[in-house]
Amino acid sequence: MNPATLRGSLRIRLLATTLVWIAASIVFAGWGLGSLFRSHVAAQFNAELGTHLDQLTAHLVLDGQGRPTLSVPLSDPRINRPFGGLYWQIDRIAGPGMLAVDALLRSRSLWDQVLAVPADVPMDGEVHQHRIAGPDGTMLGAVERAVRIDDVSLRLIVAADERLMIEPVSRFNGALWLALGVLGLGLAFAALLQVVVGLAPLRQLRRALGRVRGGDARQMEGAFPAELMPLVEEFNSVLTQNADVVERARTQAGDLAHALKTPLSVLANAAHGKDDHLARLVVGQVEMARKQVDYHLARAQAAAAVRVPGARTPVRAAVDGLVRTMQRIHAGRRLALVVHPTAPDLLFRGEEQDLQEMLGNLLDNACKWAASRVEIHARIDGDRLDIGVEDDGPGIASDQREAMIRRGVRADEQVPGTGLGLAIVDDLARLYGGRVTLAESPLGGLEARLILPAAA
Amino acid sequence: MRILLVEDEPTLAAQLAAGLAAAGYVVDSAHNGVDAHFMGDTEAIDAVVLDLGLPQMDGITVLKKWRAAGRAMPVLILTARDGWHEKVAGIDAGADDYLSKPFHMEELLARLRALIRRAGGHASAELTCGPLTLDTRTHRATVDGQALALTSHEYRVLAYLMHHQGEVVSRTNLVEHIYAQDFDRDSNTVEVFIARLRKKLPPRLIETIRGLGYRLASPQ
Repeated sequence: MNPATLRGSLRIRLLATTLVWIAASIVFAGWGLGSLFRSHVAAQFNAELGTHLDQLTAHLVLDGQGRPTLSVPLSDPRINRPFGGLYWQIDRIAGPGMLAVDALLRSRSLWDQVLAVPADVPMDGEVHQHRIAGPDGTMLGAVERAVRIDDVSLRLIVAADERLMIEPVSRFNGALWLALGVLGLGLAFAALLQVVVGLAPLRQLRRALGRVRGGDARQMEGAFPAELMPLVEEFNSVLTQNADVVERARTQAGDLAHALKTPLSVLANAAHGKDDHLARLVVGQVEMARKQVDYHLARAQAAAAVRVPGARTPVRAAVDGLVRTMQRIHAGRRLALVVHPTAPDLLFRGEEQDLQEMLGNLLDNACKWAASRVEIHARIDGDRLDIGVEDDGPGIASDQREAMIRRGVRADEQVPGTGLGLAIVDDLARLYGGRVTLAESPLGGLEARLILPAAA
Repeated sequence: MRILLVEDEPTLAAQLAAGLAAAGYVVDSAHNGVDAHFMGDTEAIDAVVLDLGLPQMDGITVLKKWRAAGRAMPVLILTARDGWHEKVAGIDAGADDYLSKPFHMEELLARLRALIRRAGGHASAELTCGPLTLDTRTHRATVDGQALALTSHEYRVLAYLMHHQGEVVSRTNLVEHIYAQDFDRDSNTVEVFIARLRKKLPPRLIETIRGLGYRLASPQ
């Protein structure tokens, strides 16, 4: 996992830190408990050896020939089983400071072996501990003690297989690590659960934001934890402010248009009817200024609009309003405007004004060019709206259609406002991620199709 | 035909008034929404040219008030705010047509003629009554193809009667539609214009309905 992923995910951050901490605690606990038990078992082992040595000492007597013998055999069954794991041996000490390892007496468990204990002589009462090789290559823990009975000096040795000590430790360790492993898994699962449950509001936040982005809501809605509420409220106020800014931009754009166009009207009317150079210049320039104002006004408004998330517009209402308007404006042409039944709940993901601007231009063109009939249909295709406007007019030759639309693509190089307003429509549609296509209509004229994002 | 011109910008208002008068219309001017509403509500107006951005009361409100009060005269909206959003709002408020600033005077006159014609139920720009034909675009009246020489007041009287063919038009009604509001009206002058028109027109085209007024109708 690279550092960016670690920084980038709250879940991974929380999980990673918790898991590292859990793992460290478990390793430390396992090591601590293990060594505690090991030292406990070692102490017990040595204590047992000591007990056996004491028992051996207590039962040691000399027989009639002065040879050491046991008054009572030692009771532990391991001592009587060959290589049973517990051994004893008695050596004679020839004189002070001298040692003869002659193994005067041995436990039955030693069979034919001898405990090779280093030649040292403990002082009276001293107990020495050794680690020596035993039968079958085992390692033995041994204790020895020097005893004098009736001037006979003897060395008593008791030894036990270290496995007697190692086996309980390794059994304990196995159980310990299993238990700690289960504990670790449980803790890890709890940590995961905590992260998932703890971070669930963030997913909720993302969904709420998605609904705003998708045009299903104008504000982030829902109950959020106290820690997230300030964020949600701030975001909602930004959304509101954004909508206000757009509304203000529209109003200002409208005011600007009004402020410019009334003087333009005065100029155009003053120049009108006179046929000198100045008058023709004024009329031409006024017309150009009007187109520039229209074009940039439409673009400015549209650019502001698509940044308002959550806007959605019923298509049917916009179409009906425009059809009423067309019927009035083109009343003299006695056209049949037919709106094919569309699902009443078709929604455009965007501002009503922009939909009206796009459809209005297409419908106005169709009404201007139609011979007798204009048809409008709208349908939904996945997450796209497909709105078609057809007329039975002369249409546009297929090789000129592209140019009609493209004229608006590079506004700085072209005369804006020309080309039936299609350039403006296309620009607007593109700002929304849609497009305009032109084709021949079955009615005989032009079919303009507007592809736009639909809102759910 | 009497037009109410509502425009708050003085220069444009003067240009429009001159253009409309030159086209043979009687022009009443209002420069704010409140005056406009009052005049449209009380005067006999044949058509309105209405700017939307007005002081005191905006054009859409004025228009809605007229329509709510049952005033049905054709209204041509004149505005700089020419988005389709505004056009739909204007038409839904009761406007009959929409003209964006800046515009050509001819365009305004053509739209206005069409509105007045449609309001009278006439499909063509040429109105006919028996042998008489009136071209509302050129202001030419002809009888059997022969042009008539008419003064502007005679034309106004004839045009109003032609737009209301078959209806009885009272003398006061005629006065209201051929003179502006602030003109010193004298209904006796109408009798003079009618008498002059009768001399120029074929006989029995203009009937006098005693006590009610005049009626223009084809003799058959």
